[in-house]
Amino acid sequence: MNNTPEPLHYLRSLLQADFVVLLRNRRAILAGLLSPIYIMFIAKSEKTQARLGGSHFLVVLAVTLGILSLALMGYAVNMARDRERGVFQRLRVTPVPQWTIMVSRLLIQVLISELIAIVVLVVGSRMNNITFSAGEYLSTLLVALLESAMFLAIGQALVGLVKSASTVTAVSSLLFAALLLTGLLGNSGILGDTFQTFSKWTPVGTIMSVFQSVLHQVAWNGHTTLSLFACFGYIVLCGFIGIKWFQWEAR
Amino acid sequence: MSSVAKNHSEKLPVLSVENLIVSYGSNKAVDNVSFSIKKGEIFGLLGPNGAGKTSTLSAIEGLVKPQSGNLLLEGTDMQKHPAEAKANMGVQLQSTSFQFELTIDQLIRLYAGLYNVQLARRDILNSLKEIGLESESGKRFKQLSGGQQQRLSLFIANIHHPRLLLLDEPTSGLDPQSRRQLWDTIEQNRRNGGSILLTTHSMEEAQSVCDRVAIIDHGKVITVDTPKGLIEKHKHDQRVRKVARGKVTLEDVFIGLTGNEIRE
Repeated sequence: MNNTPEPLHYLRSLLQADFVVLLRNRRAILAGLLSPIYIMFIAKSEKTQARLGGSHFLVVLAVTLGILSLALMGYAVNMARDRERGVFQRLRVTPVPQWTIMVSRLLIQVLISELIAIVVLVVGSRMNNITFSAGEYLSTLLVALLESAMFLAIGQALVGLVKSASTVTAVSSLLFAALLLTGLLGNSGILGDTFQTFSKWTPVGTIMSVFQSVLHQVAWNGHTTLSLFACFGYIVLCGFIGIKWFQWEAR
Repeated sequence: MSSVAKNHSEKLPVLSVENLIVSYGSNKAVDNVSFSIKKGEIFGLLGPNGAGKTSTLSAIEGLVKPQSGNLLLEGTDMQKHPAEAKANMGVQLQSTSFQFELTIDQLIRLYAGLYNVQLARRDILNSLKEIGLESESGKRFKQLSGGQQQRLSLFIANIHHPRLLLLDEPTSGLDPQSRRQLWDTIEQNRRNGGSILLTTHSMEEAQSVCDRVAIIDHGKVITVDTPKGLIEKHKHDQRVRKVARGKVTLEDVFIGLTGNEIRE
């Protein structure tokens, strides 16, 4: 009888394949990179930046936009599409444990999210003539890691609840717009106090509060701590929904 | 391994399916199915649409959890040791789809890695040459023709030289040339000592390739024998005589036993 393969061996193969798949998925990569740069470009004027919460806020909002876009348009849409094509079923008949198929995809998504965050931070600081200290870079990347986990959990919940790839594509576009707008407009207060309060507790709102505190735009306070807990809450809740109801087959 | 143990292992069927039941909710797709496959044997599962062929195969592949029954691969319990069983099985699914973004070369490397098979670049090129895809190594899966996709899929299913190869309707949608080529590959696999379980709608395929055939309907095995044996056994059956046009064929036996009505 053949021996079961070594975990390091098959994980490396899966990671390599998933990396290539994501890199060749130009639409997701471009959306993750270009949309944040575009938003920084159109909000370049001081007046707009002031209304949105300042140049630092704009840069981390752009990071959020990139990671959100990659998680929903990249991860969720690709998962739904590959499930419909039978890619997972083909992988599941190999001796690798099922969880490694998912973990490999998630690790690659997190890696690319971090790369996007670095690129956006560098471009954003150049465009807005602001500087980030090494500590701020590091803490921003750590928050970006948390952010990536939260948005991937939301993406996972989406593919757990919705089977059809075309529906996942449509819903993820709507969700992307809704989450972004609450973050973009909510903080500005232009839609009123009630909406501002509501937006602070949305996934984008909570992560932006954490970002503002780690970049010393706002002192770390009780609201920041609660926002951090809310981020973990979103990860646990959406991750639970996404794993419990996820089906490997589209039928 | 001692000679006694080796002898015992060679006598064991490669695959034993015992009293297999697979249900989807209240629908019993596989109902108490039992059969076994010997070393070097090509075994065919024939049945109309929805008869339970793919569900039987899915249970063996570990894609669905059986409600009850035993599945043994050379005596090893496949439900208790799924990774070990899968490491010794090759699978070609009915609608195989590999990652569209990967090239043929990258797909081969991926699946070789998943089965712990070390393949040098030269080995891959030689293998691709054998299946007539040497000039396609840089192409992506979706850019291949149906026949090329099936050949690649069969090659990947066989990449780790498994004890048992499971093929779900391997020739559906293929032209006669590609079909013949696939039969040759299956035959070659058997000559190398591998056992094969395949499902098919094609009576011609069952007669040409299979050593033994089981006809399955409504989740139950109706009959098992060699293609010739099935004809002999059922040629005087009234249901078979009724549908036969002249000399009784395997198709007459199949339609006679499973009925005329069209299944969805």
